[in-house]
Amino acid sequence: MRNHNFSQTIAIRCEDPTPLIELLEQWDVDQASADIMGYMGIRLLADREEPGRYLIVADFGVVDPDVSAADEAARNNERPETQATSAAMLAHCIGEPEYHDYDELYRTDF
Amino acid sequence: MDPDVIRSGEDQERTEVRLVARGIATAVAPEEGLTDVQADLLEAIASALTGVDVDYRSLEPLGPEELAEVLARRDLDYRQRIVHHMVLAELVLRPIPTVVAHRVHLYAEALGVKDDFVRLARRYAQGAFGLAYKDLQRNGFAAHLQGGGEGEVSPGPGRGSLDPAAAPFAPAELDPELEATWRGFAGLPPDTLGFQAWDMYDARGFELPGGPGGAPRYLAQHDFVHVLADYGTNLRGELEVFSFIGRADPDPKGFAWLATLTGLFETGYIPTTGFFDRDVRERVIQAPGMHRRVADAIRRGKEVCRANNLDLFEVDYYAVADRPVEDLRAHFAVPPKGEHALEAGSVGLFDLAGMSEIQQQAVAARRGAAQ
Repeated sequence: MRNHNFSQTIAIRCEDPTPLIELLEQWDVDQASADIMGYMGIRLLADREEPGRYLIVADFGVVDPDVSAADEAARNNERPETQATSAAMLAHCIGEPEYHDYDELYRTDF
Repeated sequence: MDPDVIRSGEDQERTEVRLVARGIATAVAPEEGLTDVQADLLEAIASALTGVDVDYRSLEPLGPEELAEVLARRDLDYRQRIVHHMVLAELVLRPIPTVVAHRVHLYAEALGVKDDFVRLARRYAQGAFGLAYKDLQRNGFAAHLQGGGEGEVSPGPGRGSLDPAAAPFAPAELDPELEATWRGFAGLPPDTLGFQAWDMYDARGFELPGGPGGAPRYLAQHDFVHVLADYGTNLRGELEVFSFIGRADPDPKGFAWLATLTGLFETGYIPTTGFFDRDVRERVIQAPGMHRRVADAIRRGKEVCRANNLDLFEVDYYAVADRPVEDLRAHFAVPPKGEHALEAGSVGLFDLAGMSEIQQQAVAARRGAAQ
């Protein structure tokens, strides 16, 4: 059976994405050395049509065949370090973020 | 000693090799069974390291707890190297099935081994290549180098450092003193380490370390090993030399070299290390005979490790550059290549067959110009 990846998108607004980028870079550095979990990577996209609007795409995959990627993402959300980074990011945002969850159906691969 | 006692010891050794092989094979087999590349590589490594021939294609399963019992009398380093054989057999798979990566993790846990390369393979299996690359940079090379002695004086001339946080990924620095030292090697007798290392660069048209476009100072260390171990400089030769260096390192983290080269030149999991770039046009480990050449390089590295207990990247080759290569091979107890490796095409450093096409062209051009 195919292991479906899972992605969470977070639409945000902010004046300057620089601190967000720094937080995400540090997050990735920390995750690279941490015990493995479902987190695969993250992207921060700037909306070309609406300046000041950004989309964060966080990808999760299966590392334990008995745990889905979506469950891995849920576990990740519960971690104190995730909560702390999330709070630090939201402190730079304007208004409420908008969250959406997606199961991956197809991806261009090697 | 009583011959029966000797025979009994040998039997015990053979039994353990076979049991370990069963454990490794069970850990790394995809659902459809071991691939030919996995089986050939594991068989060659077992044979080269233990002298015991095992048919990996016909082994009964052995679970993680059973394998842990078999290896209970072995120390952590030994168990960790067994886990590295599992990881190597994973890394030749593309893609690595998640179930295999997870299973190897369970075996490592049962053996009491917490290993960065098990995690690396799990990240590859997951498809988290960016995170895996960061992981390898931070916990493969960097942590290894830090373990080697942070703040130690770098061997050799010049100001280029072996900065643990950056090497060997950092771009080369211009270093006139280092470049001049390498140029000076040209004046040494032809049988010396320095001359042969310089000749290797000069004949192939490589820029000298310290000069524009030259190899980073840290990476240039491995070129002395090309001379000592007599391995070529095409991708196959590089895989041999880094298999040798990695296993010669008393720290099991030396496995980073083989893991990285496999990712660069076999499966493409790694895009670049700064000086080497990904090149998977020709699958290197899958090439005929390469499993034997890699296994033999690991065997030779193991013997060098036993004799020196020294990371070959930390040797001050500049201090011994004026000594004959043969003397240094004896000094470092570098064993000759095995017959299987020679039969499989493991050529010497100055053999054209051990060079890439571009290197061969450079050699031909120099020879033409000299006539």
